[in-house]
Amino acid sequence: MLGLALALLRVSKHRVMRWPAAIYTELFKNVPLLAIIFVTYFGLASVGLRLGVFEAGSLSLVVFYAAYLSEIFRSAISGVHAGQQEASEALGLGRVSTFTHVIFPQALRSALPGTNTMFVDLLKSTSLLVTISAAELMSQGRLITSATFRALEVYLVIAAIYFVLCYPLSQGLLWLERRIRAGVPLTPGRRRRLRAAKALLKGAVA
Amino acid sequence: MSETAAVDATVSTPATQDAVVRIENLSKSFDGRMVLDNVGLTVDHRKILAIIGQSGGGKTTLLRCVNLLERPDNASMEVMGETVFAGDRLVCGDLAKLRRSVGMVFQRFNLFPHLTAVENVMLAQLRAGIAEKEALERAVQLLCRVGLAHRGVAYPEQLSGGEQQRVAIARALALRPSVLLFDEPTSSLDPESTGEVLRVMRELADDGMTMILVTHELPFARDVADTVVFVDGGRIVEQGTPAEVLGNPREPRTKAFLASSTASH
Repeated sequence: MLGLALALLRVSKHRVMRWPAAIYTELFKNVPLLAIIFVTYFGLASVGLRLGVFEAGSLSLVVFYAAYLSEIFRSAISGVHAGQQEASEALGLGRVSTFTHVIFPQALRSALPGTNTMFVDLLKSTSLLVTISAAELMSQGRLITSATFRALEVYLVIAAIYFVLCYPLSQGLLWLERRIRAGVPLTPGRRRRLRAAKALLKGAVA
Repeated sequence: MSETAAVDATVSTPATQDAVVRIENLSKSFDGRMVLDNVGLTVDHRKILAIIGQSGGGKTTLLRCVNLLERPDNASMEVMGETVFAGDRLVCGDLAKLRRSVGMVFQRFNLFPHLTAVENVMLAQLRAGIAEKEALERAVQLLCRVGLAHRGVAYPEQLSGGEQQRVAIARALALRPSVLLFDEPTSSLDPESTGEVLRVMRELADDGMTMILVTHELPFARDVADTVVFVDGGRIVEQGTPAEVLGNPREPRTKAFLASSTASH
């Protein structure tokens, strides 16, 4: 959501809207996630803003990945042919309708592969939260390892768990991507509309 | 002879009550380069105006000013008797309403690739508040009219160029516009598809649709247009009936253009 909002700011006609978003993106794109995690958890705490492990962790992941996702969305939005916007305006659609019904659905198609990668990467990056002792998989693994001294087995199991979580997610998104590309209607409303259209068109041809 | 005279009369009287589009003193420049210089034209109800001329001469810009896709630097413009542009200011309170009454067909079709043909024809209707059932019926009816009812649930990429352009015409007709603008509708089509599209346009002409078309199809312009306007270097060099402008041009520049385009065809 934040990524999309940033992307919208960055394709804005107004410099005052574009600049802050561009600065944000460049800043968080070029700082390692680990540094962001340390700043939000330890850094902010040192100036009196003490965030819980979960809050600090989530916040870090959100601000970091929003920067990347905004780049993906921005290029997807500006990749939609200018003629599409014109055709939409020529039909009397307003700015909001043009974006929601013409630009966004097309941008979504081209943004999906990149978004897919980012989501899987986000899920895997939760492992970095081990550094602030979040109760995520790696921290649990470290606890078990220190109790059992079986590092290889424990970490292999953890790697497997990550795989089991990430694989369905990326496959699911790939499936969605294929459905959209094949033009399968995703919402019940559109499915109904196309069914009605087919019936009516069949009658018209006959 | 009398028919020519009648057409002539509508051309030479710019201030008829029937004018669907009236443009006076239109100027437009891009980055300091004058593209249109004090141009004026009038299109009356049920009449067809063809704009011809070399590429880069300002034809397309002139057409795009009619539905304000391009904003003039200066102009006095009326559409359906309503002033939409005066001096250097847009005075049209409702741009969407203006655009719904002016349909446009583009050179590159510009169909929405994520929607099927029938949905392309429905979208503007739905956004204009027309009920789903009614919008669908109108879309199907229009697809029948352009001979594409059997391709209604195909996506644009599954259609040939000529089919796409016919869907685009159906889409432009969906909101029952008062005038249709065609921007070189057959320039990116092969001869067979060009024939299909011109056939649909001719039917529209026969039905009395008011149209402004930018075209390189001179024989077509000669057949259907009531008025032909030759634009060159951002100015209207010559205008009149097809017989006058295409058959017996007065201006040397018109003669040169016609000679070169006949030679290239």
